Amino acid sequence: MAIIEVHKLSKSFDYFKKEPGLKGSIKSLFWRETLHKYAIQDVSFQIEEGELVGFLGPNGAGKTTTLKILAGILLPTSGSAKVLGFDPWKREKRYQKQFSIVMGQKNQLWWDLPASESFALNRDIYEIDPKIYIKNLNELVELMGLRELLDIPVRKLSLGERMKCELVAALLHQPGILFLDEPTIGLDVVSQEKIRQFVEEYNRFQKTTIILTSHYMRDIERLCKRVLVINDGGIIYDGALEELMNRYVDHKVLKIQFHKQVSEENLRRFGEIVERDGLRVVLKTKKKEIPHLVQRMLTEFEVDDLAIEEVQVEEVIRRIFNKT
Amino acid sequence: MFETIRRHLFLYGSFLKHNLKNEMIYRSNFMILVAMDIFFMMVNVVFFSIIFNNVKTIGGWNFYQLLILMGSVGIIRELAYLTFRQGFINIGDYIRTGEFDLLLVKPVSPKLHLGFRHISLTESLGEGIMGIILVAVGYAHLPDKHLLDIPLYLFFLFNSLIIYYSFCLMINSSVFWIIKSQELNTIVYYFMETARYPRDIYKGIGKALFTFIIPISLIGTAPASVLAGRSTGPLLFLSVGVALTLLVTGSLIWRVSIRHYSSASS
Repeated sequence: MAIIEVHKLSKSFDYFKKEPGLKGSIKSLFWRETLHKYAIQDVSFQIEEGELVGFLGPNGAGKTTTLKILAGILLPTSGSAKVLGFDPWKREKRYQKQFSIVMGQKNQLWWDLPASESFALNRDIYEIDPKIYIKNLNELVELMGLRELLDIPVRKLSLGERMKCELVAALLHQPGILFLDEPTIGLDVVSQEKIRQFVEEYNRFQKTTIILTSHYMRDIERLCKRVLVINDGGIIYDGALEELMNRYVDHKVLKIQFHKQVSEENLRRFGEIVERDGLRVVLKTKKKEIPHLVQRMLTEFEVDDLAIEEVQVEEVIRRIFNKT
Repeated sequence: MFETIRRHLFLYGSFLKHNLKNEMIYRSNFMILVAMDIFFMMVNVVFFSIIFNNVKTIGGWNFYQLLILMGSVGIIRELAYLTFRQGFINIGDYIRTGEFDLLLVKPVSPKLHLGFRHISLTESLGEGIMGIILVAVGYAHLPDKHLLDIPLYLFFLFNSLIIYYSFCLMINSSVFWIIKSQELNTIVYYFMETARYPRDIYKGIGKALFTFIIPISLIGTAPASVLAGRSTGPLLFLSVGVALTLLVTGSLIWRVSIRHYSSASS
């Protein structure tokens, strides 16, 4: 049974047109033209219990707006959204106790106090039974491996450590639904991986329904079987990630620093040339051929540096967008 | 109803504990704040005592009755800092940065949560302590005392706190449109400054203005007049009526305004 049902959801924001310069500013004090901009328009989808779904899309595509409506932060302009049978924007306590939202750029922990204090406060806010609270806390702390961080003031934690604590704080009341908005933003690779691992395990054990938004392809790739691609306020793809990747991304990017000049003709044997700047070359190469092509390149030429990179999310989306 | 009150008292206790721990980390400026408050209240006492060298009463209030009034305003201010005031002062930042999002998703009413999040014992502690002293001194010097004075006084302190809270709620509701709240709370501050003058000094339009539109004159005068032996039925009924009306309208305005919250894009 679908626990999140969104039907033709739209949200528009009003904003004011202002002419540039001081003159424009003064004029806008007295007279402003109101304009409307749709952040999302006619968005529909359903999510089943226990699913881990990724929202993909460039900045400003409407990912966060959709999450904020589902969390009851914003009122939609039109359309409907039911989560666990509730209208989120009515902000009923019974609903609020069943979900959590973690935003990578916002901080719910008390800055000057140790994280354990914020956890205890959440216990009282969510009216968690003390015994269950201790059990949940221990499990989460264990899973995250942050026992020794509990008594350090939050302001002294690194961004990665803080994000781990944010997640624990959000999960103490065992929400059935978890909204994660850019949970790995700004984190180093190790912390990113730790967060991913945690989200994956948590989803598996607790059967929590999770919606994740991220810029990082790795996050989505690792965690989500199903993705919703959002662009310009609308959903342009809804389905399995593998299919999406196979359909639109069949190559990786090779960045090579050669020791000596290599002719264009020779380079073409390894892939399509994207960029060439002296000894530095960027190639687009079919995924399947990468292992043996790289091997051959390394035996035939002297290479100073080599990097194999995933195609950026933005590019995937651009490709999808170009085709539809 | 009873259950809701119990839950909010419990939550208040929890938030109070956390805020006290928080305040203890920055103890150094605490003494300065208290000393400053006491100093400025002393200045006021001296100011009034000079006036009372020349006149017997102001608006019918003698010197000791006026001490009760000044003291009551100090106590109410401290009570406000212990419940909601600091939260409203910070509301502009919450809206501008989008941190308000986090208040909207918690199973606690955001208008209470905002205040509870910033409970401050020390911000106005000097005024609170000084207030209690002034009220005690003033009351001790008055000839007529009744058994019901103190419980009735406490009730009207609470009533005034509700008026003050509703006033803040109404003024700060506009923050969802104008985003910055600094000026709004300066307005509240200056109005509160006038609360320490007896309501009786206002006449005609001024009196109506300060009672119904800006109900500040009742905040100090209503509880103080109970202790000062100046309370009248109409004044007390008016005070309770204004408190209830404001609380209902304030909550309504807040509820409508909060719909305008557009968050900040991340």
